[in-house]
Amino acid sequence: MTSEINPMGGFCRIYSVLLYAYPAEFRRQYGRPMEQLFRDRCRDVARRPGGLTLLRFAGQVMADWLRTTIRERAAAWPAGPKPTMRSSVTEWAGTLLVYLFATATLVQAYVVPTGSMEGNLLIGDHILVDRMVYADPGPLGRHILPYRPVERGDIVAFLYPEDPRATYVKRIVGLPGDRIRLENGQVVRNGRRLIEPYVQHTANQPDSYRDNFPLAPEYFTTPRGRDMFQHHVRNGEVVVPTGMLFALGDNRDNSADSRYWGFVPRENVVGKPLLVYWSYDAPTADLQEWTLDHAIDVARHFFTKTRWKRSFLVPRSQRAEEVGGAQ
Amino acid sequence: MTKPESPRELLPLTPPVFHILLALAEEERHGYGIMQDVARQTDGALQLGPGTLYGCLKRMLATGLVEESDERPDPTLDDERRRYYRMTAFGKRMVRAEAKRLAGAVTVAMARLAGESA
Repeated sequence: MTSEINPMGGFCRIYSVLLYAYPAEFRRQYGRPMEQLFRDRCRDVARRPGGLTLLRFAGQVMADWLRTTIRERAAAWPAGPKPTMRSSVTEWAGTLLVYLFATATLVQAYVVPTGSMEGNLLIGDHILVDRMVYADPGPLGRHILPYRPVERGDIVAFLYPEDPRATYVKRIVGLPGDRIRLENGQVVRNGRRLIEPYVQHTANQPDSYRDNFPLAPEYFTTPRGRDMFQHHVRNGEVVVPTGMLFALGDNRDNSADSRYWGFVPRENVVGKPLLVYWSYDAPTADLQEWTLDHAIDVARHFFTKTRWKRSFLVPRSQRAEEVGGAQ
Repeated sequence: MTKPESPRELLPLTPPVFHILLALAEEERHGYGIMQDVARQTDGALQLGPGTLYGCLKRMLATGLVEESDERPDPTLDDERRRYYRMTAFGKRMVRAEAKRLAGAVTVAMARLAGESA
């Protein structure tokens, strides 16, 4: 594996789970080379970006998968001793299970309602979230299922700690044990300044709370935010406790994030945005739930308000560069 | 998988099998190399998906058209080990026979359709 971050990594993970629809014998023989081939194809596609290339590729792969899982199942049928009704049912059940439920549990559709990730994700981006990548399958499952820990720089979807009915998308800046502060809008992590290529600054007015964090709670700091100030600030820095994450929006000057409402518990993490499948230019309020007005708006302006260029865009995790020693 | 009674039973070869054999005619290749070469041969018309490619290779191994060579990394890609395939003598005979069959069909087609296009 190369160390560069593969923007198509999420698709490779999903594909490795889709392979479970093939008969066990076939999967054991060819599972690994098929994953390799899929990854090579992903790399080709990533080199020629564009919604249409990706869409055609996804269509080809799905068609190939549907056709060949059925063909291989049928081929596996008469092999060996005469199959009993029960054994053939259990064999096919595996395939059907993957067909029916895998896609629903692996992926979740979600719409970006606020501009806090602006620059990378826009208001009205409808995204698919890979729900499996950060779901720890336990010590045994870790060898079978694709899983990786949350890393700094990851864009992550999670349940808003103050109100779990809302899902937020932010970038992970601090892991447990990290010391975080902001100086004039720049993040200092463990004493080293971060150069964050993905961040955008839009405000021309300085804001001492926002840009020189953590000073003191303000009236808009939420209860969890106050708790962070009370218990987790040491020497002018926030120290991320175990089991928690520190998340900031890329639109750094206009983002309600860990600075205001505290840490994200690890178990609140839902997954990682995979791709934008539809981007529609609409105000925040309309995106929270489908109203009749919004439906009419979509019907009338589908072609003009859809941001076609953003379709099938893959949001990338990016590492920040760290400079300097402690200061 | 049972071996066919006679090689004739394998003809006509399906397009994926035919093109995979052509891809292996000059040198042994791994799965991704075969896929790329088949796309080149057919001007992009035949894009073999992972399931189709390895399903075909499985059957071709069973009928003895190809054999596994060894597993080694490809220096032009990453350092991961890849399984290589090569064509057997039987595979070569079959792909020749198929090419001849197709050539015959093309000759007939040309003769019958020549008048039409004019």
